[in-house]
Amino acid sequence: MSFDEIVCREFVELATDYLEGAMPEPTLELVEEHLAMCDWCRDYLHHVEATAGAVAATADDARFAAAPPDTTLQSLVGAFRRRAGGGDTA
Amino acid sequence: MLPIRPTAPSSTAHRSADRDAALLDALRAGDEDAFVTLVTRYHASFKRVARAYVSTDAVAEEVVQETWVAAIDGLDRFEQRATLKTWLFHILTNKAKTRGVRERRSVPFASLARAGDEPSVPPERFQGDGATWPGHWATPPRPWEDPERRLASLEARERLRAAIGALPETQQAVLTLRDVEGLEAEEVCDLLELSPGNQRVILHRARARVRAELERYFEEELA
Repeated sequence: MSFDEIVCREFVELATDYLEGAMPEPTLELVEEHLAMCDWCRDYLHHVEATAGAVAATADDARFAAAPPDTTLQSLVGAFRRRAGGGDTA
Repeated sequence: MLPIRPTAPSSTAHRSADRDAALLDALRAGDEDAFVTLVTRYHASFKRVARAYVSTDAVAEEVVQETWVAAIDGLDRFEQRATLKTWLFHILTNKAKTRGVRERRSVPFASLARAGDEPSVPPERFQGDGATWPGHWATPPRPWEDPERRLASLEARERLRAAIGALPETQQAVLTLRDVEGLEAEEVCDLLELSPGNQRVILHRARARVRAELERYFEEELA
């Protein structure tokens, strides 16, 4: 017994709230009613999920792993070594 | 038939938590290779998050460096109530905030992130008010077949990388913490001092923009 409905233009703004499970009950019901009827919005929702997945996959992409400058890395390794060394002699 | 159920966070977060635990033991044992691995792994994400608080890449680099110095210092005091990753991001955001204040950019993250009312999908892709089905799709999205495989190409990864890099810095920070690093919504709210609603709005803006760019890529691929 819903008095209202959600249209596609509204759904696309709600996709992340829906995926996050952060939707109050009355809205959730409307969204699920809409998704049950609307192939296109299901496609859109899949796009958003696939996008999040693609972004996640960048973590393992060597091309994204921008290493720090050599001098920075060396000075950090130096600091790490002093800590490790300090631990040994203490 | 039930519509698609909301999904649990991907297993990426758990996998990396395990990797972190093994790394932590190695770090405490003074393993330099482990340290270099860690510094390299987090470099891009650290810089992106720092960059939301400070005004230049150079200052962001310094914030990242300060973070590692503080982490080395605190390694023995780290009590594993949080994951190593969350602990490191806490140090990072604290350093970045301090630096932001010194730079007189002491604006809270939430107001830096004010997103405006930019729609996720251009309004002309929906039917207008006088149409048969106002607010419904006029130019609907096409289903993406096997996106993982199609996004594996070098060109696709470049496009994705560019799309993320073109986002406003605050959106990059939230997207990095949530979707790249797999932190929980609550942790990100805590780190960036955001309300849950605000965090979701920023995350959605970021995903919507990246989605639009991937859609363009897939359409070009078909053309």
